[in-house]
Amino acid sequence: MNPAKAPRIELRGVAKTFGGGRPGEVRALGGIDLAIAPGEFVSVEGPSGCGKTTLLNLLGLIDVPTRGELTWDGRPIGNRSERERTRLRLSGVGFIFQRFYLLSTLTARENVELPMRAARVPSADRRARADALLASVGLTPRAEAYPHQLSGGEEQRVAVARALANRPGILLADEPTGELDSANTEAILDLLVRVRGETGATLLVVTHNPKVAQRADRHLQMRDGRVVADDGGR
Amino acid sequence: MRWRARAPLRHHRLQTILTVAAIATAVSLPVVLLSVGGGVFQHELAQLQNAGYEIVVSASGVHAVDQSHSLAASIDRVGSVTAASPVLSFALDAFVGPGGGAQPVLVEGVIPQAFEATEGPTERSVLPSPLPLGDPTDLVHYRGGSYRGVASWDVMVSTPFMQSSGSGTGTSLILSPDSNRSGGVAFNVTGVFGVPPTTLGPTAAYAMVVPLSDLQVLAGLGAARTSGDPPLDAADTIEVALDGAAAADPSQIDRAASEIQGLVPFYGVTSLTQEAQHLQEANSVLTGFYLALSSVALAVGLIFLALVLVRRVESERKSIGIQRAMGVPGRFIASGIVRTGLLLSGGGAVVGVGAGIILVRLLQVYGSPEVQAAANLAVFDPRTLILLGAGVVGLSSLASALASRTALRLSIPEALR
Ligand SMILES: Nc1ncnc2c1ncn2[C@@H]1O[C@H](COP(=O)(O)OP(=O)(O)OP(=O)(O)O)[C@@H](O)[C@H]1O
Ligand SMILES: [Mg+2]
Repeated sequence: MNPAKAPRIELRGVAKTFGGGRPGEVRALGGIDLAIAPGEFVSVEGPSGCGKTTLLNLLGLIDVPTRGELTWDGRPIGNRSERERTRLRLSGVGFIFQRFYLLSTLTARENVELPMRAARVPSADRRARADALLASVGLTPRAEAYPHQLSGGEEQRVAVARALANRPGILLADEPTGELDSANTEAILDLLVRVRGETGATLLVVTHNPKVAQRADRHLQMRDGRVVADDGGR
Repeated sequence: MRWRARAPLRHHRLQTILTVAAIATAVSLPVVLLSVGGGVFQHELAQLQNAGYEIVVSASGVHAVDQSHSLAASIDRVGSVTAASPVLSFALDAFVGPGGGAQPVLVEGVIPQAFEATEGPTERSVLPSPLPLGDPTDLVHYRGGSYRGVASWDVMVSTPFMQSSGSGTGTSLILSPDSNRSGGVAFNVTGVFGVPPTTLGPTAAYAMVVPLSDLQVLAGLGAARTSGDPPLDAADTIEVALDGAAAADPSQIDRAASEIQGLVPFYGVTSLTQEAQHLQEANSVLTGFYLALSSVALAVGLIFLALVLVRRVESERKSIGIQRAMGVPGRFIASGIVRTGLLLSGGGAVVGVGAGIILVRLLQVYGSPEVQAAANLAVFDPRTLILLGAGVVGLSSLASALASRTALRLSIPEALR
C-alpha cells in the first residue's frame, strides 16, 4: 500500500447498531478501523452473524454507519444523503450477491443493461457494452435467456457482468460462490481476478471458502462485529 | 423503457386481468348511468320542445280548469296565441285475460269534483252521483261481459289496441262510447306511459291525454251543445300554442304567459321554456347523483388498484432492493410503478367504456320493456367518455404514488436479506 496516496476506502471507528435504543438492539459492528488500497483484493472471513454483510453494505453505501467515518479516496461519504449515495453507488460500486439476484422479468442482456439505463447510457452503447460483457463471461449465446432458464453458474456470471456494467472502481461480492460447485467457483474467481487485472478495481469478497480466500492478496478475519485478524496483504 | 412496466404484467397475468376487470367494472357503471340518464333527459327535452304548444294553464291538485271552453276562447284572443285547447287526461285500465286474449277495457274520467262543480242538467242526468272510481276490472262492476254501474260516458278501448299491449306505439287505438261500440274514433298511438300488463299483474294502467272535445264526441256529449245544454266543460289543462315567431322567442313566450296569467289569476301558467329549465335543473341534480354513485365505484376500483400495486411492490421487495443497491435512482423505480398503474387503469378505462356500451346494447335487447325504452335513448358522448377515462387514469396516479412511496421507503439491506 502506498502511504502517500489516500486509501481507496477507509473506515475510522465505524460502528453499526440495529434497533438502537430499543430492547434487543443488535451491535452488528463495533468500532472498525480499516484502510483498503486501490486495486487491492481483500477477502473477509468469519462465522455467521459476525457482521460481514453489514460491513459490505456500509462500504458499498447501501447502509449508513451509526458511528464513525467512511471515506472513499479521502472524501468522507458515509453519511451523505440517500440520493447522493445512490448516485455514487451507480457509478462507483458493483455488487455481486450470494444468490445471484437477477431480475426475473428481464433477460440476461436486459439485466446487464439495467445499471447503464439508470446511468443514462445511450441505448446503442448500452447494448454494445452489454454484449461485450456477456461475451467476456462466455454467455453470448444466452443473452436472450431469462434467469429461470439459466444454470446457477450462468446466473452468477450474468450477475458479475451486470456488476461491471458502469465500470465501477469498487467490486463488492458477498459469498459470490456460496451456491456454486467447485468448477463454477473457479470460473467466477478467474473472472473476478481477470476483471481486477484489467480494470484495476478494488475487490472485496466475503467468503467461507478457503479456496476463494487463497486467491486474495489480503485476508481479514472477523468475529462479533470486529476485525480480529488482518494480514495486511502479506 | 416499455418492457419494465409491461414485463411484470406478463408475469402476474391473473392479477392483471382481475385488476383491469375491477377498474373496468367501476368505469362501466358511470358509462351506463351517464349515457342512459343523459339520453333520457335529452329525449324528454326534445319532447317538450316538440310538444306543439308553448304554454300550459293548469289547476292545482284535484281541481280542474272550470269553464274551459270560454277560458280557451278568451286566451285565444291574446296577441300571439294561435290556438288554445282544453285537454282532459284520463286513466285507462286494461285487462289481459289468460292466454293473452285482450278484454275490452274501460276509460273513465278522473276529476269528479270538477264535474260536480260544473255539471249542467245534461251531465247530471248522464253521470251517476257519486261517480264510481273503482277498478273497472273489479268483478263488482263486471257482470256478463259488460260493466255495470259505471258512468255512461265511459268509453271502451277496442281489442286491436290490446292485442299489441305492452308498447302500443305505432298501433291505432279505437275509442268507442259505451252506448255505441261500432261508432268508434281511431287514434294513432304515439306513445304510452303507465304500467303494461305482465303475468303477475294482468291489469294494465295507462294514462291517456285526449282533447276534451274529442272526449265529448266519444261520450256523445258533443251533441249537448245543439240542445242548448252546457257541454262537458272541465279540463285539467289548457294547452296554448303561439305563432311561429313568438314560439321561438323566450321573451315573447314569457310576455304571452304573463298576459294569460292576467286572465286566469287562479290557475297556474307555465311556459315550456320554464319546464325545460326545471327539467334541466332536475337533470343536473340527477347527474350529480350519478356522479356521486360513480365516484364510489371508482374509489373502490382505485383502492383495489392501490392494493394491487402495493402488494406488487411488496412481492418485489427483493428486485427493488437489488435495483436500489445497484444505484438505480428511486424515480426510475417509481416511474416503473406509475407506468404499471397507468397501463392497468388505462386498460381498465378502455375495457370499462367498451363494457358500458355493450351493457347498454344488451339492455336494449334483453331488458324489460321500460329498461329497453330507456336504453334505446342512451347517448354516448365521446367527450364525457374521454373525460371519464382521463379522470380514471389521472386518479390512478394517486394509487401509483402510494405504491411508489412504499417502494422508496424500503430499506435496501432488509430487502436483500
Ligand atoms: N436489519 C437488521 N436488524 C437487526 N439485526 C440485524 C439486521 N441486519 C443484521 N442484523 C444482525 O447483525 C449481525 C450481523 O449480521 P450480518 O448479516 O452482517 O452477518 P454475516 O456475517 O453476514 O452473517 P452470514 O455469514 O450468516 O451472512 C447479525 O447478528 C444479524 O442478526
Ligand atoms: Mg452475510
